[in-house]
Amino acid sequence: MTSSASSGPATSGATAPVATASPPAPRGREGRRLAPAYGLTAPATIFVLLALIGPLALMFRYSLNRFVPGQMMVEALTLDNYARFFADSFYQEVLGTTLWISALSTLLCLVAGFPVAYFLVRQASDKWKGRLLLLIVLPLLMGNAVRTAAWMVILGDKGLFNAVIGAIGISPVKLMYTPTAVVIGLVSVLLPFMIVTLQSVIEGIDANLESAAQSLGASHLTVLRRVVLPLALPGILAGTMLCFILSMNAYATPVLIGGPSFHMMAPTVYQQVAKAMNWPFGAALAFVLMAVTLVLTTTANVLVQRRYRRWSE
Amino acid sequence: MGLLAVNRIYAAITALVLAFVVLPLGAVIWVSFFANRILSFPATGYTLDWYVRAWQLDSFRNGFITSVETALVAVALSLALGVPASLALVRYRFPGRDAIQTLLLSPMVVPGIVGGAALFMAFIELEILLDVDISGTLPGLFVAHGLIALPWTVRLVTASLVGMSPSYEEAAQSLGAGRLTTFFRVTLPIIKPGIVAAALFSFVISFIDLEKSIFLVGPGRTTLQIALVSYLEWNLDSTVAAVATVQILIIGVLLLVSDRYARLSRAF
Repeated sequence: MTSSASSGPATSGATAPVATASPPAPRGREGRRLAPAYGLTAPATIFVLLALIGPLALMFRYSLNRFVPGQMMVEALTLDNYARFFADSFYQEVLGTTLWISALSTLLCLVAGFPVAYFLVRQASDKWKGRLLLLIVLPLLMGNAVRTAAWMVILGDKGLFNAVIGAIGISPVKLMYTPTAVVIGLVSVLLPFMIVTLQSVIEGIDANLESAAQSLGASHLTVLRRVVLPLALPGILAGTMLCFILSMNAYATPVLIGGPSFHMMAPTVYQQVAKAMNWPFGAALAFVLMAVTLVLTTTANVLVQRRYRRWSE
Repeated sequence: MGLLAVNRIYAAITALVLAFVVLPLGAVIWVSFFANRILSFPATGYTLDWYVRAWQLDSFRNGFITSVETALVAVALSLALGVPASLALVRYRFPGRDAIQTLLLSPMVVPGIVGGAALFMAFIELEILLDVDISGTLPGLFVAHGLIALPWTVRLVTASLVGMSPSYEEAAQSLGAGRLTTFFRVTLPIIKPGIVAAALFSFVISFIDLEKSIFLVGPGRTTLQIALVSYLEWNLDSTVAAVATVQILIIGVLLLVSDRYARLSRAF
């Protein structure tokens, strides 16, 4: 899921580029006729090429075209659309908002998700672990629209939260249409991804290492800091990237919980492409979004890996 | 800090996080039964009227039907394309295998809004080129949703193929069974749990998709998720809560069934 996120997932639909388990090397039949292999994969491959890769290439080409109001699009080979993005303070702010909201949501997911993953692996019985994981994953697959509706019921001006604090004599708080509410909504979408990713990595850490450290007198916090965290780092990195990518591309939460004057990148892409019908600029926005996400996640990856290597030496 | 205290802290945080993830859904289910004309707390009474009203609203009823149709086609498409491809990816070693696998999983990685925008533009170009309607039609939605479902199918089916020894297939073939016979009589029955899980999961993934569909729906051809979001932009009432509750129920059942075949938490 969201995939995306995003879609759920992914997001919205969009999810987990990291957890992909590559099947082990195939056994048997090696070196034999390859025709069946290509015949079997060809339909799916062609489908993805036509429905995803081709359209992406087309959209990239369009991002170099020129937009003329009333005429939609004029063939050109210009970087104007990208230049406009970096010259216009409005779009800089949109990107800025998207970045800090994503960074904050991801950080909160990490802080809240790690103890849960650790609890599931080290303290819950197998039966309960399965049940709890299912309970954590289920809400994720209810869809962004439903989950967002649920948060609106709670965060609205006359929503459940204000009703509850009103009952104990606290004056109502404005939550809807605030960045706080957007972060709350996003964290609830992203947490399951973080927990599932971290859980699978902590699962691979030998519990004896922790017991050993403990028996040598290390406090629990020291064990976490010196044993668990370094070993879980690849998972922490994977979970962080996943949450960050999904939240950079979030659509439903910023639109519905952030309200009309709250702008993040994905809704802006939609607005430009489908409403303003400014395809060249909308296309450029989409590629800026993907490029910024890619550059940031790759940089973080390299930096953390370098640090990790130093640790493990 | 004693070990017991530490354990309690972890348990407490887990409980809080679970509540944070699950409670909102509980709230939306709860208010769908409120008798209040305008949504507010506390409830003045309870009723089932909102469910009737939700079904009477064209946008929700038609959206639901479109979503189910689309999801069924997406399942069929992703199985028809994904199962043979998974078979080749697991059972054969060939040049370009890794590249093809990455490609088939890539619809999961490309953000929904970006992929949706690109597909929308390509559809409009095709419309101009061929002089037929595609964007805003069912076939357009089918293509988009088949694409969303495909990587999940490939992931779940390859996983179940990896767990199956090729010696069964080799035995069948050495006894004279042809390729097709081997597939339908040996491979398929063994990987059936993986395929059922893939089908159910693909259905859910297609049903809840919002970001990709938003570009591709047309007047009278709207999926339930888009209908929900357009409704929510203007009002929040118990009608929309009733629709959400029905969706939670349907998806909950599908996922619980599919979890019996393949662990859901492993699909991510």
